[in-house]
Amino acid sequence: MTDRLTLDPPELGPADPRPRLMLVNGSVLATGGRCTACGYALAVVPPRCPVCGGATMEIATFGPGATVFTATILRIPVPGREPPYGLAYVDLDGGPRILVHVIDSETGETGGLRSAGDGRPARPLVPGSRVRLVGWTEHGDPAVRPSPEPTEHQRTEEAS
Amino acid sequence: MSADTAVWGVGTSLFGKQPHLSAPELTWVAVTEAIDDAGLAGASAIDAVYAGTVFGEPGVAQRALQSIGVTGVPIITIENACASGTTAFHEARLAVESGRYERVLALGIETMTAVFDGAIVPIRSDAEGAQGFAMPSLYGMSATRYVHEFDVTPEQMAQVSVKNHRHAVGNPRAQHSRTVTVEQVLASRVIADPLTLYQCCSIADAAGAAIIGPARGAAHPRDVPIRSSALRSGKLWDQRSSRVWGWDIVAETAALAYEQAGIGPGDVDVFEVHDAFTIGEIVTTEALGLCDLGGGGRLVESGHTSIGGPQPVNPSGGLLSRGHPLGATGLAQIAEIVWQLRGEAGARQVEGARLGVVETMGGGAAGVDGNGCVVAVLGRS
Repeated sequence: MTDRLTLDPPELGPADPRPRLMLVNGSVLATGGRCTACGYALAVVPPRCPVCGGATMEIATFGPGATVFTATILRIPVPGREPPYGLAYVDLDGGPRILVHVIDSETGETGGLRSAGDGRPARPLVPGSRVRLVGWTEHGDPAVRPSPEPTEHQRTEEAS
Repeated sequence: MSADTAVWGVGTSLFGKQPHLSAPELTWVAVTEAIDDAGLAGASAIDAVYAGTVFGEPGVAQRALQSIGVTGVPIITIENACASGTTAFHEARLAVESGRYERVLALGIETMTAVFDGAIVPIRSDAEGAQGFAMPSLYGMSATRYVHEFDVTPEQMAQVSVKNHRHAVGNPRAQHSRTVTVEQVLASRVIADPLTLYQCCSIADAAGAAIIGPARGAAHPRDVPIRSSALRSGKLWDQRSSRVWGWDIVAETAALAYEQAGIGPGDVDVFEVHDAFTIGEIVTTEALGLCDLGGGGRLVESGHTSIGGPQPVNPSGGLLSRGHPLGATGLAQIAEIVWQLRGEAGARQVEGARLGVVETMGGGAAGVDGNGCVVAVLGRS
């Protein structure tokens, strides 16, 4: 008799619905699924593609780069959290739109958007700007930092 | 064989933080008013109930209705986020139209002070709820996008709050019956950039009710015909979506309701729409076809949607000022449009209103463009 097989992975708690990140060669990537028929990407790996119905989903990685769709700074308390903190919907390169927390580039704090250096009230990330996945917040949320790489618009201007 | 349907009667409790009142007590006020308004002999005339509630406890409708004599009949409880009440209304109307039932109570109940201290957060099993997300941050992100993409100004957003507070002064049942200025709205504390406190609805406790039955003809001139109602859930809201959350579901649901009623948005005299946050009304008026995409800020600024303007929106004060007891909101909106179309809306009456539209949409599930949206068209052409 061998030991009984378990399907419970070690050291994992209850199911966590947040987008999953992994560290690959020093880069933080998001994982999820991509339909091999239509190419639709999403942050989970369902048995069928929700867009085309295709039955072959492959496991995929996305990022680390992403473009901000929109953002805000939440300044009211939410159970278990201390405001303020920056939130954004970002479109991962080659991947899905996910909700992320925003880490301030200078201070490295999640709520660090409050101390922007010059004393002015912090502002949310600008739609269309570039960010990079950099890891997890202390609460285990996927986190991004503003990226120094040029925006699409700036690239177009440089090329012309 | 489908029957023409009508709202026979409506009723509501007062709106606001009323922790001293139980869900049954709030329900008794709304339902007895609706029964009397409909001219029913009593509660025993009701032959089915559709009840909408979001955070109501299991059994809340049966617990609330037994003591006023609504027993024995089917009672079906519905949760559909902020559209729970209007989903109950929609299902009640379909039940009458199909001949399944004849006198149906559509009910909305919510006692939010029992559940929340502040902002509503999605459940922790939700991808966004688990990240410390709250509903104001969702609308704050819509507002950020609108400022960036369409140059909607903070002043235009504040105008929604100013208008709806002004409207609520004429509504004795409203939660916030006082005027505010653009300066006061913008100076109130920031909740989720760029939205400030007076641009966010409060939590509330209330109940709302409507009695729906077959059209009774000229003998009942206060009955308000239901021209159409439509219900949709959101499609995927993802990297392919260029519009803000909720725009498409409202536009698609409205298109269905307009088509079934044989009308266009220009025919409508008065609207009650989902304005949980100021940006929400801006987005919704666009999606309902009152103006082009990106034109919602200029629309409110122009006075088009004020009482006295061509197409008033939220004469009751809306969710921002009448109050937003989630599951009860849809029936509060239905009641307001019924009063408006009968000419019984008192100080906030929209003169000559004959055709009205109710819209409610809500969410809380990450990844879809809203859990649900209902658009209903009421009145005579």
